[in-house]
Amino acid sequence: MQDLVKDAFIDKMRMAVLEGEEDEAVTMAKKAIDEGMDLVTVMNEGFLAGIREAGELYAAGDYYLPELVCSADAMKAALAVLDPEMRKLPGGVKSSGKIILATVKGDIHDIGKTIVGAMMTASGYEVIDLGADVDNSVVIQSVIAQEPLILGLSALLTTTMNEQKHIIDSLIENGFRSKVKVIVGGAPASHEWARKIGADGYSDNAMDAVRLVNGLLGRTD
Amino acid sequence: MKIQSSFLSEEERKIIHADSIRILEEIGVKFPSEQVLTMLAAGGAKVDFDRQIAYISEAMVKKAVASAPKSFILGARNSEFDFKMPSLFSGYNLDGCGVNVLDFRTGMRRPARISDVADAARIFEEMDLGFVHWSPVSPSDMLSESVGMMITATSFMNTSKHVQDEVQEQAEVPYIMAMIKAIMGEQKTYRDRCVYSATYCTVAPLCHDEAMLSANIALSHYGVPILIYPMSASGTTGPASLYSNIAMANAESLSALVAFQLASPGAPIILGAALGVVNVRSGIFLEGTPETTLQIGAMGEMARYYGMPNTTAGCLTDAKQPGMQSVLEKTLTTLPLVLSGADIIQGIGLIESSTTLCYEHIVIDNEIAHLCKRIKDGIDVDQAKDYFSDIKEVGQGGHFLKQKNTRKAFRSEEFYQSTLCDRNSYDEWEQLGRPDLIQNSRAKIENILSGEKKNPMPNDMEKLMREIMSEAEQKLAE
Ligand code: B12
Repeated sequence: MQDLVKDAFIDKMRMAVLEGEEDEAVTMAKKAIDEGMDLVTVMNEGFLAGIREAGELYAAGDYYLPELVCSADAMKAALAVLDPEMRKLPGGVKSSGKIILATVKGDIHDIGKTIVGAMMTASGYEVIDLGADVDNSVVIQSVIAQEPLILGLSALLTTTMNEQKHIIDSLIENGFRSKVKVIVGGAPASHEWARKIGADGYSDNAMDAVRLVNGLLGRTD
Repeated sequence: MKIQSSFLSEEERKIIHADSIRILEEIGVKFPSEQVLTMLAAGGAKVDFDRQIAYISEAMVKKAVASAPKSFILGARNSEFDFKMPSLFSGYNLDGCGVNVLDFRTGMRRPARISDVADAARIFEEMDLGFVHWSPVSPSDMLSESVGMMITATSFMNTSKHVQDEVQEQAEVPYIMAMIKAIMGEQKTYRDRCVYSATYCTVAPLCHDEAMLSANIALSHYGVPILIYPMSASGTTGPASLYSNIAMANAESLSALVAFQLASPGAPIILGAALGVVNVRSGIFLEGTPETTLQIGAMGEMARYYGMPNTTAGCLTDAKQPGMQSVLEKTLTTLPLVLSGADIIQGIGLIESSTTLCYEHIVIDNEIAHLCKRIKDGIDVDQAKDYFSDIKEVGQGGHFLKQKNTRKAFRSEEFYQSTLCDRNSYDEWEQLGRPDLIQNSRAKIENILSGEKKNPMPNDMEKLMREIMSEAEQKLAE
């Protein structure tokens, strides 16, 4: 493929994510595979560049929530196509880190957690969203199976915040606590609560949640 | 005349009703309960059991509206505080389930405690336009399975007004009924005048929660009034036009109404609404905005369209502390609702988008309520208020201070006397130590909390309540 054509392709990938065009992102990801393009370049200069830009626009206040969520979902859709192929590459391609998110058992408030997930995706993390009202056992099993760097737990009710503690306790019992950083959020949680239950951090908004994760993983943002 | 404003024209109400029916018939609502789906199917709904979706027809809605009572009383332990629905004036509901409290002594935000429930109830008891007590906080100093029942009992023991609460599990129902019986005595049904009612939230978009639904259906069997409370936020959990968000929320309400009427025909239902908008950047749920008022006001109109009693969120703010923003927003989200004739407005006492209790605001909000009421009551152009004779007597020049009518009027509702707003001269205000609304409310609170408890619960009744509490504590933990 000619360099010029290749550059135009990669720019289309970047734009598909930046403008939150999920279908276009998927089409471009498939094309990249079909044309045998270098997937590392495709990721770094195409899709990842787009999501990074979306994140910057959001941080600057130019992007609103719907734009960010669409970009994050376009990114996820492209990743889903590319991921199996990238695994086949010699040495594989490391994602910048896996994050598991869930709203705890008995709690159906899900939009806050979803927004945190979109922000994390926009910051280059691979997010696995388990949904809302998730059984503790499902959370624990997912952590064991997926080995994420971060587990984020959302609880909006005073009556369900205790599940955040129960999950941390089970991780300790299963010998998994040291392998994952646990962060918590939601209306009744607080820095103090996080400390009390032995979580690694708390934030009351999605932007700070990303800073928190970057900090915990020793990355600069 | 009393001022009557409206958020929707007659034509617009019909349009929204038709839209809601179309949503119910074509898109359907998710009821994650085999039992409820079977009941809806028997009631005429088309049901997709695999996807747990029920498609409800207009005929079903009409039948449910017809079988729901159009009038009943929210009873109170002290019957002086009974509140008849629909009401000729707007009563107020202490806002519920906050997470934090602005500590009355330190002014710092801290997690809520059970003692706050008791204190707030005592303050609310003395707010004359407050009629419905929803525990303003869910305390986190007692995290047990029975915390909900502790909160309900603590509310009952500290206010003699109507208590409203939310039930999350069917296991709580026997204890709630035991409390109601402890206060009202054994009755077959509590339909006409019950001292307790429950808030039931639909789950936007277009879902119901199984545990909450079954618990509330169980309560409705006894005739306990249920407040249906959709909360969709335009743009996140609801569509991004006020119009369609209202239509969708109304569809959710109607789907709940149908379910409750099929399960318990004739059960008293209050149509409510707490729709919101969001911070376009962060998605945070916003309450103190003009768009909130518009949506909530329109939902009130829809309740009146169906001839049903209503409670709407209102007197709301997103401010983090009492001050200019909180009073501005709370006033803007109260007056229009009062002018349109809301039965009950729910919001007083909480700030920070209904997550933080502020004692001062219980008092300030009661004052906002009075000022709004005065405007609603309007100008009385009646024979009795025609003071032509006074004008004639005084003639040109002079004053009206010595007229009998003046002396009488100054002590009547013609002129509302605010006890919170400063209405002194500058020097007087200085001599008083430059008081403001917040300081004045604090003085009232000091007075209430240091004084004797008003309308205390009789000892034998309180003993019963404590027995129910300790049983709940043991059994619900199992
Ligand atoms: C909308 C809403 C609902 C909707 C939810 C719809 C949905 N699809 O999600 C419905 C109507 C279903 C609902 C139901 C109930 N709700 Co509700 N709800 C709300 C409301 C108004 C807004 C929540 C919201 O969506 N916020 C918008 C998002 C963007 O903000 P957020 O969730 O806080 O998330 C942000 C941060 O907290 C943080 N964050 C969130 N999660 C995480 C996780 C991590 C890891 C990190 C780092 C950060 C983080 O980042 C997010 C983005 O900025 C809140 C009040 C409020 N202002 O918070 C009450 C509120 C949470 N609900 C409350 C209650 C009581 C209930 C009910 C019991 C019924 C009732 N009577 O209201 C049921 C419970 C159902 C259940 N079993 O879960 C109470 C909780 C009180 C308490 N102390 O327990 C609140 C505080 C309101 C109140 N005062 O009554 N609710």
